[in-house]
Amino acid sequence: MSIAKASGFEALEKLMSTEPPVFLAPSSISEVARTASRYLFEKLKPFNPKSPFDQLLVDGFDAEQIWQQIDLQCQPLLSSLRQDVKRFAQNPKEIRKLGNLALKVSHEDDDVDEMDMDDDELEATESEGDEEEEGDEEEEEEDDVEEDEEEKSGDHEGIEDKFFKIKELEEFLEEGEAEEYGLDYKNKKGVAKRKKQNLRDDDDDEEDEDEEEDDDEFGAFAGGDDEEADKLGKARYDDFFGGKKKETKMKLKDLSEDDEAELENQGDVKLSTHEKDRIKLQSKIEQMEKANLDPKHWTMQGEITAAKRPKNSALEVDLDFEHNTRPAPVITEEVTASLEDLIKSRIIEARFDDVQRAPSMPTKAKREAKEMDDSKSKKGLAEVYEDEYVRQANPAFAPTTFSDELKKEASILFKRLCLKLDSLSHFHFTPKPVIEEMSIQTNVPAIAMEEVAPVAVSDAAMLAPEEIFSGKGDIKDESELTQEERKRRRAKKKRKFKAESAKDPVKKARDDTTENPKTGIFLCSYMTFRLLRVFEIRK
Amino acid sequence: MAESTQMEVETAAQTVTLPAKPTFKPLKAHEMSDGKVQFRKISVPPNRYSPLKKAWLDIYTPIYDQMKVDIRMNLKARKVELKTRADTPDISNLQKAADFVHAFMLGFDIPDAISLLRMDELYVESFEIKDVKTLKGEHLSRAIGRLSGKGGKTKFAIENSTKTRIVIADTRIHILGAFSNIKVARSSLCSLIMGSPAGKVYSKLRSVSARLNE
Repeated sequence: MSIAKASGFEALEKLMSTEPPVFLAPSSISEVARTASRYLFEKLKPFNPKSPFDQLLVDGFDAEQIWQQIDLQCQPLLSSLRQDVKRFAQNPKEIRKLGNLALKVSHEDDDVDEMDMDDDELEATESEGDEEEEGDEEEEEEDDVEEDEEEKSGDHEGIEDKFFKIKELEEFLEEGEAEEYGLDYKNKKGVAKRKKQNLRDDDDDEEDEDEEEDDDEFGAFAGGDDEEADKLGKARYDDFFGGKKKETKMKLKDLSEDDEAELENQGDVKLSTHEKDRIKLQSKIEQMEKANLDPKHWTMQGEITAAKRPKNSALEVDLDFEHNTRPAPVITEEVTASLEDLIKSRIIEARFDDVQRAPSMPTKAKREAKEMDDSKSKKGLAEVYEDEYVRQANPAFAPTTFSDELKKEASILFKRLCLKLDSLSHFHFTPKPVIEEMSIQTNVPAIAMEEVAPVAVSDAAMLAPEEIFSGKGDIKDESELTQEERKRRRAKKKRKFKAESAKDPVKKARDDTTENPKTGIFLCSYMTFRLLRVFEIRK
Repeated sequence: MAESTQMEVETAAQTVTLPAKPTFKPLKAHEMSDGKVQFRKISVPPNRYSPLKKAWLDIYTPIYDQMKVDIRMNLKARKVELKTRADTPDISNLQKAADFVHAFMLGFDIPDAISLLRMDELYVESFEIKDVKTLKGEHLSRAIGRLSGKGGKTKFAIENSTKTRIVIADTRIHILGAFSNIKVARSSLCSLIMGSPAGKVYSKLRSVSARLNE
């Protein structure tokens, strides 16, 4: 055993020193590996009472078979280890007890633990070297994770098992978050530390010594507000740009405490409603204060020119301003239908709103436009002005202008024409126009007139009998007269003649005596004769 | 303050009825010039000499009888002389008579020139064609022809529509009439000189004269 031990140890050391890729290539290192694994198997045996093998049977066995043996031994070991770790996580004092009481043992245990760890790692690398084993390993890990998850179920009975409980899951998640976001709870300082350490132990990722340092730092962060300056001094590149966990930690450290408080809220369920409201209010207040400090939105800045606001921003905002014009009417079907109905009704009624010519203002009668006279004016300038003055002063005395005379002539001509036209219709509707003017009417026989004039003229003689002769008594022709009547007429004639001659007998007498004596004598004799005769008749 | 009030009181007290404003009869021509006689002398251009001789009585009668101004012809000096008399009613009579004679000398007829005696508001305006536009030779002759028109019809048209009398003496133009009428006649004559056709001038005249005669 001791020889084996020594050789085994050497073999183990050898293996550790070799490069990992060498494992992948079969042959040379296999013998060494077998011895190492056998050595480790023997070491582990005392911890596992139930192990079926006393020794790891390596010679002539396949890798698969060797692995099966190792697995058989280690499985219960792993589970027991996990349980122990959990126990220690919940009761940190036990570790100290363990540590104080059996330091050596613990050392050895630590070594063993480390070796176990290395063993596991080796096994892991071996399995990776033999590519067939990879899948199993991963499956195992997945199974482990699933087991963990199952263990943490609480309320959900359908999902929950003896392995999986949701409450435990939640606790686990919270722990993880607490680790990530660097909680500052003084109450849970130590717990957090230990939790992180345990978490580290639990994780099976490829972690090196760096992780230990980081965890220390991490624990330091979680530790206290006082040490922040130191923490910042100790900050490494990996803290900012290293693993995925660490990035978020640093970023979140820059945020305000409110976020931390919120996350604290997220992490801690036990806040009272009042506290919750307070926190909400505070967050709102913070928001509003921030908004007040920030520069206002351009719509709230008063007078803004186009240069001061973002491009096309006015299009997105609903601008309110007074429109001077009525908005254009939206033409819908109803509108058109109503219009058409109106049009139809109007057409039926024949009530068109035609534009009527506005009646012109009652102006004075247009002054007669003087015709342009090309000839030399007959009146002198003085007379022209005189006439104008007279017309203005005394319209009655004003001499008729040329236009007035023309008007008169025109009116007369027109009347005549109208008369002629009316006679064509036998004066059926129009009375004869009264033309007051002297006209000579000839006593032409009617027939002649009829021929010439229109039908309307009467067939009687133009002149009435009274107009021809106005006399009294019985009118007789000369042939009809009796002797007595003849005599009577002659006598009347003579009387008339005498009356006339009595007026100017003196003239006649004078003339006779001076000029011709003979005739004078003759006349005297005649006169006496006549006188005698007259007297005789008279008797 | 006290003084001003005192002053006001004094003026108020002194409002005495002033004597009536004296009214005097207008001065006669003689009285105005303190008995001196006023003369006017109008020279007779040679082309108006024989018309003057023909129309002498028509000139003499209204001036001597109605204007009461002495008139005589100075044959030697070829001038018509006017002189105020003792009974000349108004000094403006002499001036009117002088204007009348002068208008006759320019070339206006007696009945037209008489209007100067009868109305105050008539004036005579003269201008030359070259004042309007410098024309030479044939252009000038054509312008004169345009002004008169065929048989003088354009000139008569202007005269009749604007109630003025126009005399075109070679390159001089004289217009007799009221002020606004003279303006219209002048503008139409100027447009004719500038070259616008007679028809255009007629149309313009028609509208303007209608407005004038309203």
